[in-house]
Amino acid sequence: MSARIVITLRLLAVLLLSVLVLHQPAVAEPYLAIQKGLKCGMCHVSPSGGGKRTAYGNIFEQAEAAERTLDMGELWTGELGKYFAVGADLRGGWSQVDVPGQTKISDTELEEFLGYVEIRPFPRNLTIYVDAKLRPDDPFVREQYVRLSTADDGWYVQGGKFFLPYGLRLQDDDAFIRQVTGINFNTPDIGWQVGYEQGKWSAQFAVTRGSAGGPELDSGKQYSLRVAHVTNKWRVGGSFNFNDSKFGDRQMQNIFGGLRTGRVAWLAELNYIIDDGTPTGQRDSLVSLLEANVMLKKGHNLKFTFEYYDPDNDVSEDEQTRSSLVWEYFPIQFLQTRLGYRTYDGIPQNPAQNREELFLELHLPF
Amino acid sequence: MRRAVLPLIPLIFSAIAGCTAGSGEGLDVSGRPLSEGGNVPLAPTLASVQANVFNPSCIVCHSGANAPQGLRLDAANSFTNLVGVGSRQDSSFLKVAPGQPDQSYLIQKLEGTASTGEQMPLGGPPIPQSTINFVRQWITDGALPDSGGPPITPPVVVSLTPAPDSVLGSFPADITAGFDQDIDASTINDMTFTLVRSGGDNTFSDGNEESIVPALLTLSAVNPRLAVMDLSGVSAVEDLYQVTLFGSGPNMILGMNGVALDGEYSGSFPSGDGTEGGDFVVEFEVQGIQPSLASIQGNIFGPTCSVAGCHSGPSGPNLPTGMDLSSENASFSSLINIASFEEPTIFRVAVGDADNSYLIDKLEGTSVQGSRMPLGGPFLDQATIDVVRLWIDSGAPR
Repeated sequence: MSARIVITLRLLAVLLLSVLVLHQPAVAEPYLAIQKGLKCGMCHVSPSGGGKRTAYGNIFEQAEAAERTLDMGELWTGELGKYFAVGADLRGGWSQVDVPGQTKISDTELEEFLGYVEIRPFPRNLTIYVDAKLRPDDPFVREQYVRLSTADDGWYVQGGKFFLPYGLRLQDDDAFIRQVTGINFNTPDIGWQVGYEQGKWSAQFAVTRGSAGGPELDSGKQYSLRVAHVTNKWRVGGSFNFNDSKFGDRQMQNIFGGLRTGRVAWLAELNYIIDDGTPTGQRDSLVSLLEANVMLKKGHNLKFTFEYYDPDNDVSEDEQTRSSLVWEYFPIQFLQTRLGYRTYDGIPQNPAQNREELFLELHLPF
Repeated sequence: MRRAVLPLIPLIFSAIAGCTAGSGEGLDVSGRPLSEGGNVPLAPTLASVQANVFNPSCIVCHSGANAPQGLRLDAANSFTNLVGVGSRQDSSFLKVAPGQPDQSYLIQKLEGTASTGEQMPLGGPPIPQSTINFVRQWITDGALPDSGGPPITPPVVVSLTPAPDSVLGSFPADITAGFDQDIDASTINDMTFTLVRSGGDNTFSDGNEESIVPALLTLSAVNPRLAVMDLSGVSAVEDLYQVTLFGSGPNMILGMNGVALDGEYSGSFPSGDGTEGGDFVVEFEVQGIQPSLASIQGNIFGPTCSVAGCHSGPSGPNLPTGMDLSSENASFSSLINIASFEEPTIFRVAVGDADNSYLIDKLEGTSVQGSRMPLGGPFLDQATIDVVRLWIDSGAPR
């Protein structure tokens, strides 16, 4: 048995162990959902997570996520009436990157200013939604769609520009599982999506351009399917994505899951990617994530993350890992801090694959 | 239970400790086997930039079908996609402007000075300035393709815009074909790079085809791997079009090595069957907007203006719904010689007079009142608006 197969089996075993054997649940920025046993759509407008928070999501952020809730009169829900709701996220902070053999780089900046608008001409059935970057030097509409839903939100169809449903929608776009798959907050696509949110099931199927945010260059489409079974303590799901492209097809599939064991919310995702569009022909790659979130006490979360990336199954000794330890502290409502250390481990020839990062982030969610 | 679970965290993570990083043995800086080319010392050449910048830092995202913005930077595509090609984020710059590193969007993105978007590599450490300086020097030197003797392999087609089998809403301004190596400019002409339309029957074998005469046909002055057919002034006709790049016959496209194009296309790039010769033949369709109410209704009013809550009817005095554009009949009744609510002295459509039609003012953003339409954008390109103008100037027939 080759070392590659052994590694693959080990990853599968770890995934199954975390999802099935420990038999308790997990939720990710998703992790919050796992800790509470909720679907992503409970706290976010998007059923697969991310973007504007719902009224419940805002209340949860103020009343449950924060260590202390300052008395500000009434809770902010984002609702400005029956037909209109808004929200925002502001992220900034300090980071230091240490690449071997290079001078350490420190940077302080406003990373992201996001604004959300939700218009509901028919509150139970029709939603018009816009999610946009508002920073003056980086304006970008991330999502812009119209959604038609059944009254119980069991079925919906939406058309426009949106994030593709695939795997765990982590806030960290630089995570291997989001960067390598190319499905993240920087690559919304334009097309149609049908969704099903009923009972413990959550499913989305999207047909989009397949140009990762760019103009359509061919007649091929990208097909994304994500299905998850969500219980109070655990969840498991799978995704499939096929991008029919004149520049070489890409097929991706994953399994993902979450599990809550007492104070710990676990997340795991394992992807297998088949790329035809490389100079050396077909290339198969493997990318995975395992994350544990320990709720130290209310408002304090300690996050351990381990990621693994094998860029080419046919090439030995090219694997990369990324490990993180992050303390997330919500002192009061509307304020989240993250203090983290991250280390990359890759081939020694490439210093950037062996860097270390230290970061402090402030996040103001509204 | 909780106490029992917490110690499992280090246990779990230690279990996966076997998933360690590779030793890099036998690999280059990009993690590819040395047999594929090996390490290339830093130098102001494309080969060096590819090996030391694009491969190790960019192509983890910018390759394959899911490359952001379709920008592929692998060795087969980087030169074609960068040199002399306009930036999509900031159209006032070329991604690489030969001889002008400060005017090259690639440099701005690497150095973090671009007017929009994040510094690249996204989420990663910036490329050291000492390395970027080699990219700058490569651009200053003219952003030439790989030096050295011409390859002995036949040239192949690596890209075509518009894409094969695509369906276009308007006639393209040009057709560009990208090759994997420099092409002999003298072999790019109207006998080796042709465009034919079917004559309306979607077939190319019954003799009624019409050859399109381009305004200009040339190899790009700044990118000898890019052939450009300039279609300025060519009449836009809805039809099926066939593009042919000849690699066989009396007139062929040749690489700088004199080897003929390996052109056979089987549905994906690059072209070729591995041996010299063979034509590259693909088709695309133009379903452009015509100056008729039916076409304008189907392409503009229907999908853009009469969406729910906007100009969706019923007809009446209340804007925007009252200006009903939900069907051909409704649009005709709402527009033709009907005074604008916002500017009552002007007809929405003044028959035969586009310049004095409020519809045109609103589409072009020149109206005194209100916002440009479609509200909030994206706005129609001028070529599309010109079709509406043409319809009005020709009497706005039903």
